Amino acid sequence: MTFLEKTTDVRKLRHWDGDMEAQYLYTTGIAGDIFFKGIMNGKIMGSKCEKCNRICVPPRIYCEVCFERLNEYVEVSKKGKIHTYTIAKIDIEDKRLKEPLIWAMIKLDGVDGGMVHKVSEIAPKEVKIGLKVEAKFKNKKERKGSILDIEYFKPVK
Amino acid sequence: MSKKVGVVGVGYTGFSSVTPDVSWKEIMFQAANRAYHDAGIDPRKDVDSFITCAEDYWEGFSIFDEFVPDQLGSVLRPTCTVTADGLYGLINGYMQILTGLMDIVVVEAHSKISDLLTYNDVLSFAIDPVFNRPLIDLGAHPYYIAGMEMKRYMSETGTTEEQCAEVVRKNKLNAMSNPSAGYEAKINIEDVLSSEELFAPLKRLDISPLADGCVVFVLASEEAAKKLAHDPIWIKGVGWASETSWLENKEWGRAVYAELASRQAYKMANITYPKKVIDFAEVDDKFSYKELQHLEALGLCRRGEAGKSVEEGAFDVDGVLPVNTSGGLLGVGNTLEASGLQKGLEVVLQLRKDAGGRKLPDVECGLAQSWRGVPTTSGAVAIFEV
Repeated sequence: MTFLEKTTDVRKLRHWDGDMEAQYLYTTGIAGDIFFKGIMNGKIMGSKCEKCNRICVPPRIYCEVCFERLNEYVEVSKKGKIHTYTIAKIDIEDKRLKEPLIWAMIKLDGVDGGMVHKVSEIAPKEVKIGLKVEAKFKNKKERKGSILDIEYFKPVK
Repeated sequence: MSKKVGVVGVGYTGFSSVTPDVSWKEIMFQAANRAYHDAGIDPRKDVDSFITCAEDYWEGFSIFDEFVPDQLGSVLRPTCTVTADGLYGLINGYMQILTGLMDIVVVEAHSKISDLLTYNDVLSFAIDPVFNRPLIDLGAHPYYIAGMEMKRYMSETGTTEEQCAEVVRKNKLNAMSNPSAGYEAKINIEDVLSSEELFAPLKRLDISPLADGCVVFVLASEEAAKKLAHDPIWIKGVGWASETSWLENKEWGRAVYAELASRQAYKMANITYPKKVIDFAEVDDKFSYKELQHLEALGLCRRGEAGKSVEEGAFDVDGVLPVNTSGGLLGVGNTLEASGLQKGLEVVLQLRKDAGGRKLPDVECGLAQSWRGVPTTSGAVAIFEV
């Protein structure tokens, strides 16, 4: 048996309003600390895996391929290529954006990885996979130690 | 030790956009009762272990697993929650029986996502808080990740937007024959192509709309199954895999998790040539392109050929490999953690010759595959046989 009675009058349906408030302080960790200190200084940092012969960006203290502990941090190129992208027409509230936004995975030159970020200073129609772009940092005074200290990536001229 | 595990009962509710008449506990109670009736068992006496699949944030409260026993009949019994898609729960139940410790195991997964008023916000919590989530402050809807995947998949394989639209047409049409589906429709690919572009090339109709619903499976060892009413549907192979969680390092054009999960399942099922053995498949289609990408990952068609095959009708109900006869998530609705069990359910119903107007003739082996949705790179596979 499941139910013998069911609501047939929608006016009698009830619900309870609730919300879950949650606030966190996310520790960035050893590698994150080095990365964001680099960002504050206008640099992009990676961590080097000698065993796999690759530089991981963003940096991490372990290599997910071979599980080695990574100790060496290096500054990497601020330039790279668009690996894939999308042209977003709505925002997180499902509201139509006034101007479409270009989100892209940018593979930075000479490293394994890169950044997912906004692409600007280009018309959406002009964006292509493989397009060369570079990071545009905010002025040093405005930087806070966030990926948003990079305002966006723009085409290399 | 028991060598075979069978599905001896299934129970489910319809899948629909809202379910204001029942609470999330009642939706579970309803599906569970139907499954126990189907299997001919009493949960208070006959079941050795209960498994539910859920995420706290989807449910809207913490430590959700504490709240599941009553409505499943599992009070004072071994009960646990797997924080993953329903197929992971099925695989856990399968393994519990293989240990020899359990004879009958119940697996449950549900969606009461209509209770959640801020789906986009909760989904955004699934994105790396330090390295990626700040983009949300700039307005990034989490589905931008799907738009980027679709772009890369199309670029690597030559798949077209028209071919992705064909998946939507097919699945919504299949759903017309599934009375449980929530989003059935007879449309053509122009309807899809002209629907609002949201995360180009992803359009509104390429996206599976959310749905409520619940699916319950009753699994049994070979010995226990013999004593029950139904001819069991046997689980022949299972697999699951996760890639890296770094968006910066994951594969954007390939579903490696599905490649690995299916190879594990094929090996277990002694399947060398999946195309020859698998008669039909229910694969994840949370977004239209995912069905094509997943079919290629599963080795059910060559890489880059799924788009062409769907256009030629290969995956239609009367095609060489019917795919998502239930209507898929595009036609049934995206039931989040329940979507893998919904796919397993369709495979079981087809193998039981119990799929009504969408019944496939002469099928003996079917595959169900799930993906946990953006931004994940995790998924599972289960292979069933009569």
